[in-house]
Amino acid sequence: MSSYSVTLLGPAPWGFRLQGGKDFNLPLTISRLTDGGKAAKGGIGIGDMVLSIDGIATEGMNHLEAQNKIKSCSGNLSLKLQK
Amino acid sequence: MMMTQVETTVHYDNGYEYEYMNQEDDWDRDMLLDPAWELQQRKTFTAWCNSHLRKAGTQIENIEEDFRNGLKLMLLLEVISGERLPKPDRGKMRFHKIANVNKALEYITSKGVKLVSIGAEEIVDGNVKMTLGMIWTIILRFAIQDISVEETSAKEGLLLWCQRKTAPYRNVNVQNFHVSWKDGLAFCALIHRHRPDLLDYSKLNKDDPLGNLNLAFDIAEKHLDIPKMLDAEDIINTPKPDERAIMTYVSCFYHAFAGAEQAETAANRICKVLGVNQENEKMMEEYERLASELLEWIRRTTPWLENRTPEKTMAEMQRKLEDFRDYRRQHKPPKVQEKCQLEINFNTLQTKLRISNRPAFMPSEGKMVSDIASAWQGLDQAEKGYEEWLLTEIHRLERLDHLAEKFRQKATNHENWASGKELILSLNDYETATLIEIKALLRKHEAFESDLAAHQDRVEQIAAIAQELNELDYHDVAAVNQRCQSICDLWDKLGTLTQKRREALERTEKLLETIDQLFIEFAKRLAPFNNWMEGAMEDLQDMFIVHTIEEVQSLIAAHEQFKATLPEADAERQALLGIHNEVQKISQSYGIKANIVNPYSTLTTEDLIDKWDKVKKLVPQRDGALQEEMARQHANERLRRQFAAQANLIGPWIQTRMEEIGRCSLEIGGTLEDQMTQLKQSEHVIVAYKPNVDKLEGDHQLIQESLVFDNKHTNYTMEHIRVGWELLLTTIARTINEIETQILTRDAKGISQQQMKEFRSSFNHFDRKKNGAMETDDFRACLISMGYDLGEVEFARIMILVDPNGTGNVSFQSFIDFMTRETADTDTAEQVVASFRILATDKPYILVEELRRELPPEQAEYCIMRMPPYAGSGAPPGALDYTAFSTALYGESDL
Repeated sequence: MSSYSVTLLGPAPWGFRLQGGKDFNLPLTISRLTDGGKAAKGGIGIGDMVLSIDGIATEGMNHLEAQNKIKSCSGNLSLKLQK
Repeated sequence: MMMTQVETTVHYDNGYEYEYMNQEDDWDRDMLLDPAWELQQRKTFTAWCNSHLRKAGTQIENIEEDFRNGLKLMLLLEVISGERLPKPDRGKMRFHKIANVNKALEYITSKGVKLVSIGAEEIVDGNVKMTLGMIWTIILRFAIQDISVEETSAKEGLLLWCQRKTAPYRNVNVQNFHVSWKDGLAFCALIHRHRPDLLDYSKLNKDDPLGNLNLAFDIAEKHLDIPKMLDAEDIINTPKPDERAIMTYVSCFYHAFAGAEQAETAANRICKVLGVNQENEKMMEEYERLASELLEWIRRTTPWLENRTPEKTMAEMQRKLEDFRDYRRQHKPPKVQEKCQLEINFNTLQTKLRISNRPAFMPSEGKMVSDIASAWQGLDQAEKGYEEWLLTEIHRLERLDHLAEKFRQKATNHENWASGKELILSLNDYETATLIEIKALLRKHEAFESDLAAHQDRVEQIAAIAQELNELDYHDVAAVNQRCQSICDLWDKLGTLTQKRREALERTEKLLETIDQLFIEFAKRLAPFNNWMEGAMEDLQDMFIVHTIEEVQSLIAAHEQFKATLPEADAERQALLGIHNEVQKISQSYGIKANIVNPYSTLTTEDLIDKWDKVKKLVPQRDGALQEEMARQHANERLRRQFAAQANLIGPWIQTRMEEIGRCSLEIGGTLEDQMTQLKQSEHVIVAYKPNVDKLEGDHQLIQESLVFDNKHTNYTMEHIRVGWELLLTTIARTINEIETQILTRDAKGISQQQMKEFRSSFNHFDRKKNGAMETDDFRACLISMGYDLGEVEFARIMILVDPNGTGNVSFQSFIDFMTRETADTDTAEQVVASFRILATDKPYILVEELRRELPPEQAEYCIMRMPPYAGSGAPPGALDYTAFSTALYGESDL
């Protein structure tokens, strides 16, 4: 279970589906990847847990917060994930 | 002035008569006399006559008158000649006078003077010219005639005399008896020549003739007893002064000086003769004196040279030699000189005497040349003898000194070596020495003994030298002997002390060796014994942890065994103490004062005793401890059994219940409600059973407090039971919950009983392990069986859904969720988004008034509050993003 960081070059769409959140009692994970999308190209895997978005830890974030955080990233998106 | 010979008298022969007669030719007999001259002659002749007549106590005043009676004339002649004339006639008649004058004239004639044309009558008549002529004749005959200078006599002689005497005075040139005398310098020169003290000639000036003349006349009258006969002015004023007057005055100078000179010469002659005499006498005396002195010196010196008193030391002897050398170098040579001088003097004297026709010199008795020579010889011999003796003595003393020095050196060396040895040998250091120290002392002593032996012949040498010094009669032999004696005495003493010390050392060594042996034995035996004791102590204090009665029993048995060995040990202890006591005894009885410490053992008897006591104490202690333990073990056993009994009941009971529940949940027949009822019943039973478990807990606590960790009476631990109990509780609760959830799900999803049964059956089928959950592989197999053709990615996605916590197990509930989800319609999230789009009239965003218009107020407000603002372009302010909101609802967002 190793963590890694990835920076996707903007703009959106990033090509992944985010699932989970505190309100679902599920960890924030990547549930789907668009083939050839930026996320897939960036090496992100299905099932990887998102630990931080743009340097901010996702612990305690509900789904909407996480979603908004990602959406608010103009330009590049930096993520720290765990496989 | 001509030196006349000593023995000769003044001779003059009648040959002068002729010359005198020639002189008379100079003056004119025919009464042609210069008036000036007459005057001068009068003055001068009067003065001259008076100079003689004063000796007879009379004078003349008038030269032509006072001689007329002839008396004064005769007197004059008597005074001049020193002879007696015939008695003058006393009458006053003419013929008396003539007779007297004739007597005078006859006298004159008898003196070899030829009187020509001078008759008595003319004199009696007072003829001036005749009288003057007669006086001149007298003057010539008695004052000038006898003058003889360098074989020139009379007038020439007088002239020569003047010339000779005034020769040194360059401004005087006497050529005659007239003009040469006019400037007065000649007179002054004459005076100065003989009596320089009377005038300062350098101050005279020939331009002052008057001064010069008067000066000369004054001085002559005052100091030379020559009355003034000339008049200075007359001389100056007369172009050619009267020769006769000048001659008369000058002749007085001649007689004054030459007479003195003659006297001087005579005196010198006498002095010379006397001097020679005196000289000779002096030389004789000198000889006598020197001879005496020399002989005296020889007489004094000889005993010194014959002295054979020996000196004590070389230094003194050498000093004697030095003195002798000094004598030879310093004192004798002058004496040799003296002797030589004496001889020379003698010879000289003899020669002198012979030359001067004196008798030879005869030294006094004992001072003859031969005497001196023989005395001198004696001296030489004495010297030789003395020298020989000195050298011999010196050699002897040298030898003695050498020996004495040798003695001193050897004695000193020996004394240095010996000093302190006595003290060392008398030490009692062996009394407090250890065995090693004694051995060292013995070795040291051995070394000393050999050193002593080495010194033996040195002592003998010293004695030998002392002996020789005695034989050679050394001056300080007493001190030598004393020293030698003390050396020998000390030597003997050292020998004795050495022997005694050796004995003491050896004796002590033996004792210490014995003790040493005992010590070794003691140490050898004490070590293992000590180990045994320490081991025993350890064992006796050994903290045992036993868990069974058997263990305790075996410990007790071991302890009993140990106790059996004690008597033997005690015996050994006593033996050891015995050794120690023996050591004490030995050292006490032999007075060994050393601190007897066993060097082989760090343990002492005190340690031994100490430990033994400890061991003894520990034995009963252990007995007690073991007994205690035994009791405890029995108690524990009871506890174990108690627990075991209880656990053996509870364990299976729980198991049974678990099986019941399991069966129930796997049950396919019957409704969920039926299951529920059953489960609740079980629950009830279970809860009621709790006290039993609590009791077991109590028993367990007791066991734990007793530190019992094993129990062979049961396989069930408290943990087992506890865990089992918990599990039972949770299982029942969970199972109930599951059923509840299933009921809910069934109701929510409209799953029929039949469907439920099918799900159940499938689940049970693929639940290979039959533990109420499917493993990943089970699930995969299940999906495949249901016709799902899944890639890894898709399967992984599904796994996340069914097992979000990654446990590796899929529960029945998850399974049902998954199954129902999959058979449901399209994505609910998409449906919701579609619904919002309709409400938003196909816009990507929705407005607040639209929400309020379309939805019930509560839901509308909910949406307004939660929807994020729409971030896309072309949206009015207040536009809301319903897509993000919808996806967020389902926890899924496409980004």
